[in-house]
Amino acid sequence: MTLLAVKGLSKAFPGVRALDGVDFELRRGEIHALIGENGAGKSTLIKILAGAQSPDSGSLLLEGAPLPVGDPLAARRAGVSIVYQELTLVPELSATENIFLGRENAGPFLRRAEMTRVAQAQLDALGAQVRADAPVRTLSVAQQQMVEIARALQGDSKLLILDEPSGTLSGPEVEALFKVLRGLRERGLGIVYVSHRLEEIFALADRVTVLRDGKLVTVSPVAGLDRPQLIRWMVGRDLAEEFPPRTGTPGTTVLEVRGLASRGWFTDVSFTVRQGEIVGLAGLVGAGRTSVALSIFGALPSTGAITLDGKAVRFHSPAAAIDAGLGYVTEDRKGRGLFPVLGAGENIAITYLHGFTRMGLLQVARQRAAAAQAAKDFDLRSAGLDQSAGTLSGGNQQKLLLARYLLRPRRLLILDEPTRGIDVGAKSEIYALMNRLTAAGLAILMISSELPEVLAMSDRIVVMHEGRMRGELSRAQATADSVMELATGGRSAA
Amino acid sequence: MKKLQRWLSTYGIFVALVLECVILGVSTDAFFSTGNLSNVLRQNAFTAILAAGMSFAILTGGIDLSVGSVVGLSGVLCADVLNRGGGLAAGIGAGLLVGAVVGGVNGLVVTRVGIPPFVTSLAMMLIVRGAAYKYTDARTISGLPPGFAALSQGLGPTVVMVAVFALTWLLLMRTPFGRHVYATGGNREAAWLAGIRVDGVLLRVYALCGTCAGLAGVLVASRLNAGYPKAGEFYELDAVTAVVVGGTSLFGGRGSIWGTLAGAFFIGILNNGLNLFHVEPYDQLIAKGLVLLAAASLDRWRLQAA
Repeated sequence: MTLLAVKGLSKAFPGVRALDGVDFELRRGEIHALIGENGAGKSTLIKILAGAQSPDSGSLLLEGAPLPVGDPLAARRAGVSIVYQELTLVPELSATENIFLGRENAGPFLRRAEMTRVAQAQLDALGAQVRADAPVRTLSVAQQQMVEIARALQGDSKLLILDEPSGTLSGPEVEALFKVLRGLRERGLGIVYVSHRLEEIFALADRVTVLRDGKLVTVSPVAGLDRPQLIRWMVGRDLAEEFPPRTGTPGTTVLEVRGLASRGWFTDVSFTVRQGEIVGLAGLVGAGRTSVALSIFGALPSTGAITLDGKAVRFHSPAAAIDAGLGYVTEDRKGRGLFPVLGAGENIAITYLHGFTRMGLLQVARQRAAAAQAAKDFDLRSAGLDQSAGTLSGGNQQKLLLARYLLRPRRLLILDEPTRGIDVGAKSEIYALMNRLTAAGLAILMISSELPEVLAMSDRIVVMHEGRMRGELSRAQATADSVMELATGGRSAA
Repeated sequence: MKKLQRWLSTYGIFVALVLECVILGVSTDAFFSTGNLSNVLRQNAFTAILAAGMSFAILTGGIDLSVGSVVGLSGVLCADVLNRGGGLAAGIGAGLLVGAVVGGVNGLVVTRVGIPPFVTSLAMMLIVRGAAYKYTDARTISGLPPGFAALSQGLGPTVVMVAVFALTWLLLMRTPFGRHVYATGGNREAAWLAGIRVDGVLLRVYALCGTCAGLAGVLVASRLNAGYPKAGEFYELDAVTAVVVGGTSLFGGRGSIWGTLAGAFFIGILNNGLNLFHVEPYDQLIAKGLVLLAAASLDRWRLQAA
């Protein structure tokens, strides 16, 4: 039975038609995946459904009645709930307070006990292992997401929209989320599920709607579909190989860490990375992989031995690590990577400005030429070097950060979730780039939570679990099962 | 709309400044007289120099509330050195040095102890003002050697101001340090991971801001022809006002030094115009406050558009 019917939805922004006559139908008790590359119009569609943006034209009917547009509160009252990609909880408040934020149950005073009871019942109904009076900052990301969902379902919710909910989760946490969503489907909710991870769509969704360049490509039941077909619909062409093959043999050892530890983060981590090699650092979110990377990069104090090209080193700042030939491309592009206000060119050149000076003064022409060359090498698509970095697409922002750290020759590049939040087309470009860089002799340490990516791109895989290294797998030994076994704290048979 | 918002937030102050001059020129005879114009230049050179230094602090997302007190301490130190027969260069040097030292202490506390710039510089504002009173026993140091007063006569302050702005433009736009200032203000965490020594940048920013204040202190002392421990009270607020009215974002990372110059003169000429129209001083305060609110609203408005 149709829950939501959208017909001929259009929305234009200056210079781009974000949505162009899109139809969308959601049934009661259905999980409906919404996919497409970045810029395909997914975000615009869900923002219109949630009332955060107004359409230029088109009709939206929820259970046959017009859905109020351009008013988040009215959409919410009509039964549309949304969980955005970025979590929006207040860390210092408890789960209960967050769930009731803005809708507190109160006479002249808050009815605390009552609210906690209701919140706990709701969290329990979701099967979430969360205590309602726990401050949100003490919860894991997965638990916080459960709180978000509980909050979204507060009141009479008919339609739940999830925008990239698994982006920061891994393995078992994703499974737990799916269980919750299937439970909600049983209760008759309609769920719109936006994700870049295609395997999740096969595991979870009943039907899928594919958008490309603001237009509807197709609506199809998921049963009977395969991955190449989905990719073809999304990018409008065949992607010969999602993962280009790894070739070449590794050279001498570039980086060696022995017994690396950082109090409160991780302990006893040892591995090597050789020239021309990609070493994958796998594990669940919270396993301490990013902390290991930050320690090597001089951004987190640590103990243990680090050798670079056979020489013992210890960097006390990222600046020192960069001078020695290291680069670190963060998983958090917005928060820790980009200067959103500065232009693309300046974002690239910023680490190496001293290389473009004469008598202390910047030679702007030389700086721009170098940035332009780097932008060309990395196939960065922008409206020019002066376009603010904050307005680039995710894939282009990632290329920009790569270009920044590779403006000078490097020995070792650390990539932290190099393709998070990037669409399929840009992903394979990044993979091809990684192959090109290792072929030229660069050593790469790649942190990734995406199993297919770890398996396809790594020459060796180091697996961590709860701050400890669990084992190392060769390319031949590594399978989805063997990596997950170690990542969840088990012992490898190998 | 977005384009308009961005354009207004960058160039709005220049349009406003020109409009202001045209309106005053048309409605009064006095405004465009040589005497009045050179008065405006001389009176506002001090604020503009302070605002140039303040621009650095605000571009990093910080603030320096101690500059007004530095004007006082720098002035009395300079006057004392002159009266002890130290000579003009030593007097000026003492004023600049004390500014640099106070700024350096601000920078060290902000980076090493990690106290927010607002609180750090508020504390320094009290300490430095107290030091100026203590140093002079709250008396005015007068009887300065002839010649010192000449520094601030005629085009003196204007020439210094133009030099300061030319230098700060060069620093901000044409040196790695200047670009690192913008990067630090735009995203401090990213700047650090990009290999910028953020602490060093902040230390230099506050030292520079303090040095500008020291220089303004010397000029003010020359103008008063005395070391006056109370000099420069509330100047820090005028400097912040000029920077914000000039379109620099209080959140850091965005703004221009020419905007600051225009902001300083917009406020200065507003005062001048209100004087020409014989508006009560109390109303002038209210007008300044409204202009500041309007400029800060424009900043918010632009942020929402981005």
